[in-house]
Amino acid sequence: MRRITSHPVASPPGERVEVQFTFDGKKLAGFQAEPVSTALSAAGVTTFSHHHKGGGPQGIFCANGQCSQCTLVIDGLPRKSCMTPLEAGMDVRTLVGHPKLPLDATPFAGAGKQALTCDILVVGGGPSGIAAAVELGKLGYAVILADDKARLGGKLVLQTHKFFGSEEDCYAGVRGIDIAGKLEAELRSTPNVRVLANSPVVGIYKDRKAGIYLDYKSYALVEFRALLVAAGAREKSILFPGNDLPGVFGAGAFQTLVNRDFVRPSKKVLIVGSGNVGLIAAYHALQAGIEVVGIVEILGKANGYKVHVDKIVRMGVPIHLATTVLSVEGEGRVEKATIARVDGSFSPMFETARSYEVDTVLVATGLSPCDEFYRQAQAFGIPAVTAGDAEEIAEASSAMFGGRISAQRLARMLGTNVAVNEEWIAKREVLKSRPGDWLARSPEIPEEKWKPVFTCNEEIPCNPCATVCPTNSISLKPKRGSLMDIPWYSRRECIGCGACVAICPGLAISLIRRAPGSEGEAWAEVMLPHEFEGSFAAGAKFRVLDKDAAFLEEGELLKKVFNRKNRTWLLTIRMSSRNASRASGVLVQDPAVTESRPELISSCPPDDAIVCRCERVTVGEILQFIRDNEVRDINQLKSIRVGMGSCGSKTCSAILPSIFRKAGLDPAAVEKGSQRPLNMEVTMGDLANEGNLGTGGFDEGGRGEP
Amino acid sequence: MKHYDIVIIGSGSVGIPLSYYCAKKGLSVCVLDREASWGRGQNRAAIGGIRATHSDAAKIRISQESIAIVSKLQGETGLDVEWKSGGYLFVAYDEEREKAFRELLVKQKAAGLGIDWIPPARVEELAPGINPSGLRGGTYSPGDGYASPLMTSTAFHRLAMEAGVEFHYREKVSGIVIENKRVVRLVTSQGDYHADLFVNAAGADAADIAGLAGIQVPVRPDCHEGGVTEPVERFMEPMLVDIRADGESGNYYFYQAETGQVVFCITPKPQIWGKDTDATSSFLPLVLRRMIELYPRLRNLKVRRTWRGLYPMTPDGFPIVSYPKEAANFLQAVGMCGQGFMLGPGLGKILAETFVAGASIDKPAGTTEYGFVFDQLSLYRGFSGMEMLK
Repeated sequence: MRRITSHPVASPPGERVEVQFTFDGKKLAGFQAEPVSTALSAAGVTTFSHHHKGGGPQGIFCANGQCSQCTLVIDGLPRKSCMTPLEAGMDVRTLVGHPKLPLDATPFAGAGKQALTCDILVVGGGPSGIAAAVELGKLGYAVILADDKARLGGKLVLQTHKFFGSEEDCYAGVRGIDIAGKLEAELRSTPNVRVLANSPVVGIYKDRKAGIYLDYKSYALVEFRALLVAAGAREKSILFPGNDLPGVFGAGAFQTLVNRDFVRPSKKVLIVGSGNVGLIAAYHALQAGIEVVGIVEILGKANGYKVHVDKIVRMGVPIHLATTVLSVEGEGRVEKATIARVDGSFSPMFETARSYEVDTVLVATGLSPCDEFYRQAQAFGIPAVTAGDAEEIAEASSAMFGGRISAQRLARMLGTNVAVNEEWIAKREVLKSRPGDWLARSPEIPEEKWKPVFTCNEEIPCNPCATVCPTNSISLKPKRGSLMDIPWYSRRECIGCGACVAICPGLAISLIRRAPGSEGEAWAEVMLPHEFEGSFAAGAKFRVLDKDAAFLEEGELLKKVFNRKNRTWLLTIRMSSRNASRASGVLVQDPAVTESRPELISSCPPDDAIVCRCERVTVGEILQFIRDNEVRDINQLKSIRVGMGSCGSKTCSAILPSIFRKAGLDPAAVEKGSQRPLNMEVTMGDLANEGNLGTGGFDEGGRGEP
Repeated sequence: MKHYDIVIIGSGSVGIPLSYYCAKKGLSVCVLDREASWGRGQNRAAIGGIRATHSDAAKIRISQESIAIVSKLQGETGLDVEWKSGGYLFVAYDEEREKAFRELLVKQKAAGLGIDWIPPARVEELAPGINPSGLRGGTYSPGDGYASPLMTSTAFHRLAMEAGVEFHYREKVSGIVIENKRVVRLVTSQGDYHADLFVNAAGADAADIAGLAGIQVPVRPDCHEGGVTEPVERFMEPMLVDIRADGESGNYYFYQAETGQVVFCITPKPQIWGKDTDATSSFLPLVLRRMIELYPRLRNLKVRRTWRGLYPMTPDGFPIVSYPKEAANFLQAVGMCGQGFMLGPGLGKILAETFVAGASIDKPAGTTEYGFVFDQLSLYRGFSGMEMLK
């Protein structure tokens, strides 16, 4: 069963309307209004189309409307299935080659115009866009915020995990999905802001107008004075043979299917990239009941927060450092992934090759800013700023401050006398900090009273443990004098409530005490957080691990309590006193899952990897073209269709510099590719607002008031 | 300092094929362009149509050459340029247009062009789903067609490189030194150039370049926008041209490229003069309502991308190919009026032939038969007529 009906921390939707549809003539069922791609994933469909170049199978890749790999023929028309809500009776078909354009003799019904004006157009309703719109609304600007999703919050709505940061500033300890709701509520109550949800901006034009695809149905031109681009980031693709096979996802697509749509698209995954995105994807997979064979990281050190790394490893997911993906293979979809260690120059050492039988490879190798509207606005001489990931890739917590700061900067550009808020700037700087030093702690011994044990030793911007403690017993140990400092048990009045254990996003706090009535000091009790399914009962046995996943001993569950606020189980486990202070968690995944087998391989053809996914252009084809034609301008790659596909080079543009480097050229000396509207394909009928001779609910030239 | 036989200013639709044909004739050629690479002026913005069905002998002849060249390019060189002989179809929905087309047809047939009047049923066969209401037929020239401007310029660029042409990019011409009514030196941001012959093929910048030599050429660019859709299975063959004008726009035209994508363009009314190539919000609403009205099935086709380019216009809509009196060795191959892509290959081949046949200001075609081209496209003509099929 690929539907997730129960989840340890997220709430799958309740009653939904089941509808019937057909896929290539076969009857299937799905839920009304869910994306067609989701219904198909739930039905086990992995191939959505066969590419016109070579017929290769194409599966879902971004699940975010950015690429076009999930295009299907729906009721006779090619449509991105991840953006098409399922309706009863839909006739859905695999797209083979190019779609047919149906005959249509209905005469043109006449064109309509929809026009809006505002002072500031905010592109993107994630944490930074919302923060910016709220700030600009408060300053009295008429703001229109447009977002391509029906639900605001950006990627927060995909995040079932608790966030780092501070409680007072950025909802630390709260799950992303809940933060999204809080931010949207604030936005909706802000004056002067009009929200256009489910309405992507598809073009920015020289005449200070933006084209917005309203509800994916009609086209409105919004006149604006200035632009704030908070469009987030997109995932970087990477190059390995087989990177185009169905089953190779962006981590974001995986989170969309699993956490938003509650579908299990995989049974077993390999994750590429050990940044916070890759780490958390592993966590989300495990929570959804999907096996994770491991995480590979080409660098010698894991990229994400240490507490994240520790908790993933503890769950039973190995992280293979200095390791790369050699290839992904399978008949029509991912069946096997081969990895190998790399040497100092990042070249694979084939003798170390090992393979896994997996059905999914998640790519989480970094993000690149969606800042193309900003760059276009700048070229047009339109006042514009970026915010959030579009400005700089960082955590959502810093994006909330970044949004406000960018809003003020834009207001000053427009002549409003707003003072620079130094406090916000300072907070953002801290919240976006890379981890700092690693600090040692002296070992703790269980005593009669409960006390916290911290395995949080790396400086990161986070403190909810300190603010949640009802007795104020936890504080940050002053070293830097900022949120980066690590917590310690400063006031020693722990009452054993477990609030700190439950709120810690890194699952890096446990409580220990000597077991009451224990003879001598032999036995102790440990309170550990557990964010997995909790159908076990007292008496259950758990394999208790230390911070680094070393097995300590088998412990017995004494008690389990569900912390509702943080939706986290608190497990009280009885174990030996000598191990108690080192207890950090319990094993979640069976180690047998992560077994691999040696692979005899002596070379791999990286030139077969796909760079331009839309047009299926390989590394080798691009290198050849660069050499044959002495190319020094990315725009010339359009001759071999790189960047000419549906996505407009959104995916490949981040990879192209590395290809030029591989061709022996300095990417900095290569002319950049040009950016032009549209940012997303829209039908001619919708762009012409055919038959929409009224104002479509908008007053011609009306202001952006709610 | 190196001396070339020919220095061409502009690595675009006109300059690249010209350089190739010159090099093939054994001439040493250098091409200068201020952009980072080839075709980045207006070639990148061309939509790709190539037709011989013009209204004057010079353009007809040049385009016939172009069609012959481009249609055979892949066969001869292995370089794909996505040529398709889909024909041009000028549709008539009113008596006025029908009459004008039929009158022109006489002239076009006399020039030996493969063009004829086709009835509505044939139009619907070539463009299934076209609006039949009021359709009177049209003129159809099956020998015309279309190719990818990007791939064509890349192909000629590669052939030119292989033939020994030197291309210098990111190099802006800053001065042209004239002595005794001849260019003796050309100055760029990188250095000086000497050559027997200089060619102004600078497209939209032609007037500025000529101006550096004190030559006035009446070339003034106006702005047009174009767009391209997602690819679909082939459903129409010809380039469809509707020359009716309404209150906001003049003619518009579109075709389905070899890739399956529909490429489209419209002439705004009034013309927008200048060199602005930034996208405007007015283009899509303007062109799409007319396209859907003409061809309702297009309503379901998704627009992928738009762009804006320039038509280097002359007062009468015809190009200028001429040796100026002020500088006898500074050939002007300018003012292509938005047809540089279709004229470029043929013009390049013809000009190269004249260069090795003793061309001079007094006898621009040398010993070749192309005297009429220079006569008709002279810088010193009256510019009083008007090209009907611009």
